[in-house]
Amino acid sequence: MMGIKMHIKPTVLLAYILPTVLLAFLPMAGVPRSWIIYTFLFAIYLAMSNMWNLLAGYSGLVSLCQPAFLGIAGYGMVIGTWIGIPWWIGLLGGAALAAIFALLLSNAVFRLTGVYFSIGTLVVPEALRMVFYIWRPVGGAMQGAGAGYMLRGSGATLLPSYVYWMALILGLASMVIMRIVLRSNLGLGLAAVRDNERSAASCGVNVFRLKVYTFMISGAVTGLAGAIYFLNMGYIEPSASFSVKWTMAILLATVIGGIRTEEGPIFGCIVTVALYFLLARYGGYSFLIQGVILIAIMLLSPQGIVGLLRKMKWYCKLTAYSEG
Amino acid sequence: MGHGDLFTPILMGVMLGGLYALTALGLSMVFGVMRVINLAHGDLVVLASYGSYAVLTILGLDPVLGLVITIPVMFVIGVLIQKYLMSKAVTIGAEAPLIIAFGLSLVIQNANQIMWTPLSRGINTGYSQASFYLFHRQFPMTYLMDFVVGIVVMLVLREFLRRTYMGRAISATAMDPRASRLMGVNTKRIYYYAFGIAMISAAIAGTFLGMTFPFTPTSGTTFLTIAFGTVIIGGLGSLAGTFMGGIILGLVQTLSAYFLGANAQMLVLYVVIIAILAFRPQGLFGR
Repeated sequence: MMGIKMHIKPTVLLAYILPTVLLAFLPMAGVPRSWIIYTFLFAIYLAMSNMWNLLAGYSGLVSLCQPAFLGIAGYGMVIGTWIGIPWWIGLLGGAALAAIFALLLSNAVFRLTGVYFSIGTLVVPEALRMVFYIWRPVGGAMQGAGAGYMLRGSGATLLPSYVYWMALILGLASMVIMRIVLRSNLGLGLAAVRDNERSAASCGVNVFRLKVYTFMISGAVTGLAGAIYFLNMGYIEPSASFSVKWTMAILLATVIGGIRTEEGPIFGCIVTVALYFLLARYGGYSFLIQGVILIAIMLLSPQGIVGLLRKMKWYCKLTAYSEG
Repeated sequence: MGHGDLFTPILMGVMLGGLYALTALGLSMVFGVMRVINLAHGDLVVLASYGSYAVLTILGLDPVLGLVITIPVMFVIGVLIQKYLMSKAVTIGAEAPLIIAFGLSLVIQNANQIMWTPLSRGINTGYSQASFYLFHRQFPMTYLMDFVVGIVVMLVLREFLRRTYMGRAISATAMDPRASRLMGVNTKRIYYYAFGIAMISAAIAGTFLGMTFPFTPTSGTTFLTIAFGTVIIGGLGSLAGTFMGGIILGLVQTLSAYFLGANAQMLVLYVVIIAILAFRPQGLFGR
């Protein structure tokens, strides 16, 4: 707990909490339903992008298997409701499942470096999607094949605004986690490993263990975000959960905002959610445009929006204060 | 199926292996020369499949003859990608080429979807249904063509790399770009050509994949995984290894379809690739 006090000044904490509290009152303020949906999606994306930023930006692990985490946690939670586990235990259980999966997976994929790691991880959600097309863990066969499940028995205990608040809290928590992790020994070790893995290892940094911890944190939080998302949807199926579209959204949000910057995902997720709804009516063109934006940002401003902002004096002054 | 006759799936798997090796060739080339894994390779192969499909359905030209159109088009696309995207990406940072290739993959995938709808397509020619007989067993002619074309392209590429100036310059650049530059090789241009040549192999692979299997705009991920698996199994940099890798993956696929059913074949393929990554990341034939 020392860590939290050391790294987060009261003013910074206020800057995190105040907007969250304000957003939390949205459901009571009688705002249009769409605002709630935007904010909900923003919070979910924020948690996921932060966790991808932690891997790709700060640990040099360009992971393309984030859908595996959110799908596994989502399935854990939804299937749990079929065998009598309440949804709120399922949420945590699902996140734990995702963390365990990250641990198991790390044995296989951490032998790979750089691009090998990326393609190794790209295969994982594909394989899981096929598993859930073929395998139906509980319940009788539905029409056709595959494991599509409705959330069961949550109606009495679960109000829509609960899910919204959970998403907000998780979004906030992911920011705090990033701040603590990056300033802890774990974060310092990661920075050393990213800059020069060999010299870090020779200085006594346990590279493998650092990466496993990061991967598990990322898996658990991404999983939790996914579980909350599917709690809101009330339905889960393989092609929506283990989908490359998630990877796309997460990458886009992080890259637009600024990879390897702490505040980047906030800006990125605002833009991504806006894009998501602006482009929704164009159907297939939506992803085409998003792909073009992804390439353009990476080429023109590799540090995204934050990279541009940091060229301005007032922004530097503002953020310099929060550093401590 | 299930007659205890393994000869058919084994021969089919070997023939398929030639096609897989061909699919992997472009990925291996781009990685070998530029040290970039082209995440969009699978989608570029599918783009070539659609190109041949268009040649057949719009121009009414046989897709194999139509390669005189698809090969130059894919070559130019490859050069453009290298010139305007990848050459800039490698200067930005380690993750930039990956992210840009990922973006490119989604652009191609969705462009294909808009152009051709998500429906499954196949390149059907007069000889698509033809078959040949070996030991009283019937085999599709397209599989034999896949195998022969795979071998021919590999041999041509090998001779090209060994005997021509361009080929030697490519090999030299792959080994040591700095030394090659000092020896007067224009490595920038070599990179353009290397990506272009990789796309030529993708054009041929896409055409024959389209004649062998039905494909959709999202088949790219499957093709990329097959190509990557082939390269991983064979170990990087060796043409013979790539060929063996292709055959092993082909066998894994046909044998798992034989024993476990068609639904499971891709899953088994993925599991095998992940297992090889976990236990022998340097490939079965690597050092």
